[in-house]
Amino acid sequence: MSAILALLLLLTAASGTAVVLIREPRRQVFAIGLNGLILTVLFTALQAPDVALSELAVGTAAVPLLFVVALSAVRTASPSQSADPGDHTKSPEDA
Amino acid sequence: MNARWRLVLLGLACLVLMPCAVSAIRAMPDFGADIAAYGARINAIAPAERHVANMVSAINFDIRGLDTLGEEFMLLAAITGTVVLLRGSRGEAITDRAARLPGRPVLPRAEVVVLACRIAGPITALFGLYVVLHATVTPGGGFQGGVILASATLLIYLGEGYAGWRDSVRSRWLDAMEGGGALLFVLCGLAPMLVGAAFMENVLPLGTFRDLFSGGLMLVENLGVAAAVTGGFTQLFLEFMEETREPDQSDDPKGEDA
Repeated sequence: MSAILALLLLLTAASGTAVVLIREPRRQVFAIGLNGLILTVLFTALQAPDVALSELAVGTAAVPLLFVVALSAVRTASPSQSADPGDHTKSPEDA
Repeated sequence: MNARWRLVLLGLACLVLMPCAVSAIRAMPDFGADIAAYGARINAIAPAERHVANMVSAINFDIRGLDTLGEEFMLLAAITGTVVLLRGSRGEAITDRAARLPGRPVLPRAEVVVLACRIAGPITALFGLYVVLHATVTPGGGFQGGVILASATLLIYLGEGYAGWRDSVRSRWLDAMEGGGALLFVLCGLAPMLVGAAFMENVLPLGTFRDLFSGGLMLVENLGVAAAVTGGFTQLFLEFMEETREPDQSDDPKGEDA
C-alpha cells in the first residue's frame, strides 16, 4: 500500500468522522460533500474510475443538493422554531 | 424499550454476530491482492465475445443485465415513492409555472454567477452526453452520465433562477423520460425473444472493439438507463424544490425571477 493510499484512507476516516461529529445540519451537508470528494479521489487511486464517477455525481452533487433543499424547506415551514438549530437532540422521547 | 434493554440487545447481537464477522473478515483476500478469478474471467470474455472495452458496462448491461433491470425498477420505485410523498399535500396539480412562497426573500445573484453557470452548464451537459454515449469504451455509462446531465440542469437553476429553470425543464417530459427509459430496458430484454433468443441475449451486431458503436444491445439498454436516470433525478430535484414553494401563489409577476 503506497503512501498516497494510506493518506487517502486516513482522510476518508477523518472526513467521515467529521460528518458525524458536526451537529449543525447545514455544515454537515458540506462535510458530506467533502467526504464524497475524498472518496472519489480514493476510488480513482484504487483504479475504479466507474465507481469514482458515480460517487462524484451522487455523493458530491445530488445528495448534498437534496439535503440543502430539504433544509430550506424545513426552515420555510417553521421560521420560529429554527432559531436554535442545535437543540433538536434534546427531544422528550430521549428521556 | 429503554436504554438498558437496547444495550442488552446490542450485547447479545454482538455475541452472536461478531464471531461470524471476524471469520468472514479473516477469509477476505489481502488489501491490493491479485484480481479475483471472476475479474480475470470477465477480462478474458468481454473483449473477445462482446467487443466491449469497459468491463463494468459489459457486466451491467450484458453478463448480469438482469440485475441491472431489477436496479432500474428499484430506482423507478424509489423516485415514484418520493414524488408521491412530496406531492402528498398538494395532490397531482403540477404546474409548469414557478410558484413562489409569499414573503420569501428574492436573493439577487451576482452577474459572475450567471456567467459561470451559462459557461459551465452546456459544458457539463456535453460531458454527460459523452459519458452516456461512450459507455462501452471508457469508464462511465448511462447511470453516471444521467446524473451528470441532471446536475447540468441544476446549473440552469443556479444561473437563471427558479422560474427560468421551470421554463426549461418540463415535469411531464421528465415523467416520460423516466418511465420510457425503464420501458426501453424491458423491451431490450423481451425483443430478442421474438427472434427465438433468450431474454436479453445480445442479438444485435456487436460492432468494432474500442469503437463508439460496440456492444450491440448494450448501447440501447444504456440509452434507456440514461433517459430514466436523467428524468428521475431531475424530477426528484424538481419535486424537492417545489416543496419549498406553494403552487397556488404564482400570480405574482414581480417574483418571476425568484
